[in-house]
Amino acid sequence: MTAWWDYSLADFLLFSPRVYYRLFENMNTTWGLVVASALLAGVIAFYLALRHGLRGNRIIPVLLALVWAWSGYGFLWQYYLPINWAVSYLLPGFVLQVVLFVIFAVRPLPLCFGWRGDFSSYVGLALVAFALIVYPFIGLIEGRGLIQAELFGSAADPTVLGTLGFVLLSRGTWRWVLLPVPLAWCVISAGTLWVMDQKVAVVMLVALWMTVFCGWLDFRNGVTRRRLETAEID
Amino acid sequence: MNATFKGNGNMTRHHITRRTFLTGAGMLGIGGLVAARLPGAGLAHAASGPQPLHHRIPGTDHALPAVGLGSWITFNVGNDPVLLKNCTDVMAAFFAAGGAMIDSSPMYGSSQATIGHGLAELGIDREQVFATDKVWTSDEDGGPEQIDESARRWGIRQFNLLQVHNMLDWENQLPLLQDMKAAGALGYTGITTSHGRRHDLLGIIMEREAIDFIQVTYNPLDRAVEDRILPMARERNIAVIINRPFRGGRLTKALRGQPMPGLAADYGAQSWAQLILKYIVSHPAVTCAIPATTRVDHVRENMAAITPMPDADKVLLPEGKERHAIARAIEAAL
Ligand SMILES: NC(=O)c1ccc[n+]([C@@H]2O[C@H](COP(=O)([O-])OP(=O)(O)OC[C@H]3O[C@@H](n4cnc5c(N)ncnc54)[C@H](OP(=O)(O)O)[C@@H]3O)[C@@H](O)[C@H]2O)c1
Repeated sequence: MTAWWDYSLADFLLFSPRVYYRLFENMNTTWGLVVASALLAGVIAFYLALRHGLRGNRIIPVLLALVWAWSGYGFLWQYYLPINWAVSYLLPGFVLQVVLFVIFAVRPLPLCFGWRGDFSSYVGLALVAFALIVYPFIGLIEGRGLIQAELFGSAADPTVLGTLGFVLLSRGTWRWVLLPVPLAWCVISAGTLWVMDQKVAVVMLVALWMTVFCGWLDFRNGVTRRRLETAEID
Repeated sequence: MNATFKGNGNMTRHHITRRTFLTGAGMLGIGGLVAARLPGAGLAHAASGPQPLHHRIPGTDHALPAVGLGSWITFNVGNDPVLLKNCTDVMAAFFAAGGAMIDSSPMYGSSQATIGHGLAELGIDREQVFATDKVWTSDEDGGPEQIDESARRWGIRQFNLLQVHNMLDWENQLPLLQDMKAAGALGYTGITTSHGRRHDLLGIIMEREAIDFIQVTYNPLDRAVEDRILPMARERNIAVIINRPFRGGRLTKALRGQPMPGLAADYGAQSWAQLILKYIVSHPAVTCAIPATTRVDHVRENMAAITPMPDADKVLLPEGKERHAIARAIEAAL
């Protein structure tokens, strides 16, 4: 019997870059206000993370739950699924991520966001800034119009990159549970972009590698295990 | 049908599933169609003007234009209205040039729905299209439902040709297609592979099973099928569809800008794409090639490769050694 391993990665690339990037154009033009609000949610979350305020510890997971829910429904379900049947296997991952953020927001597992001045914080800051500010303009280098910009909060790739940054900017014993879905997405997206000959695939892989490396560093330095003071949580 | 490949334990379930499917088909009104003539004959009268070269489906009176239309990647455009219109334009040009076979698969994302959209928009007569699709599932009972869904997306009631995509679960899916054909719910059965993969298994199935079509990769650079598969197809009266004639577009892209060899003029080839198609369809075992495209000018160019010039009554095609010379010229140009 012919088996699945007879297929190569390229066999599963079902669409052209032209069709892929038009997904963002269609989403940006049809859902402009929602797309802008999702981006704004990311900017607010970034601001709160850097301010180190206690309220941010609750609001940031809520904002991230919202953008993941929107990206899953708006981008994956509405736009990506019709051209890529494999998305139906990825959607549960987005649902799981939303549920996890909600759990962190309602506090059974506390997270504490803030700048710590260590290497992971720098990487976290860079990832969030990159996802919010730089990633949408990468297409310009490749000659695509601004209307096809992939924006944090709606397009999956920058949302995932930014999320990795937020996780690195946080502390809490259970923060690692927020990593598997975004890291798996990095692998899948890098594969897709690579098969489409898109150099930006490297970005997803570098982000993945940096996050795993920083996660390991933090684990070794005890950052994730350090007890959070009640004052930091509420 | 040859049952030697199936475990007995599976037989009952297959039979129930297939019978259920065929009964269901009857309930949907397909039974009425069973007695009717399947589309596919008389395709040569689809368009006015010079007719494209047709090749007979071995062992039948039906003939097909020697160039069809693929839909992998190119027609997977989702709900994008601009791109749907673009694909409809490609289909319009294809039919206007006398094309008939369109090939798709449930694996190709929204391509089936795009074809359905185009057929409906253009009001294409069912007789004009040779609807070719595939069954692609490893669920041994999943074939009937998938075929129903494919037909719904195309907006048709039955296919002219269904193939087991990449021979996936062929032990279960091919008998399903054979039963459908026997019941008159399908014109032809087939199996596909590509990239030169699994020719051993392909050969075994060709030897042992009653199939009407195979679909394989063949172009001036990928000639593995020449040794055994194509001669075998001739011997066994199996029609041959050629996929990836341009290596997924990489071949035409690599040749872009390269000067055409002098011999191209001998066959009236005005582009590398035309020379490649002439090379492919001139193999005596080949029934048709199915290049995919997103461009109206390319579909016209591809169809023109098999259409006589206005002042000629025949398409100029290479033979024997001339074919080898074309392959060598293309290799040399790369
Ligand atoms: N296992 C299987 O069953 C299997 C596997 C592979 C393929 N297939 C079938 O075979 C079909 C053909 O194979 P394919 O799509 O992989 O590859 P292909 O037909 O070799 O190449 C398609 C590419 O060729 C370009 N092209 C078409 N006409 C051209 C022309 N006149 N000049 C220059 N470039 C031209 C197209 O680009 P433009 O859009 O720019 O024209 C398109 O990107 C598929 O669509 C599918 O239906 C079946």
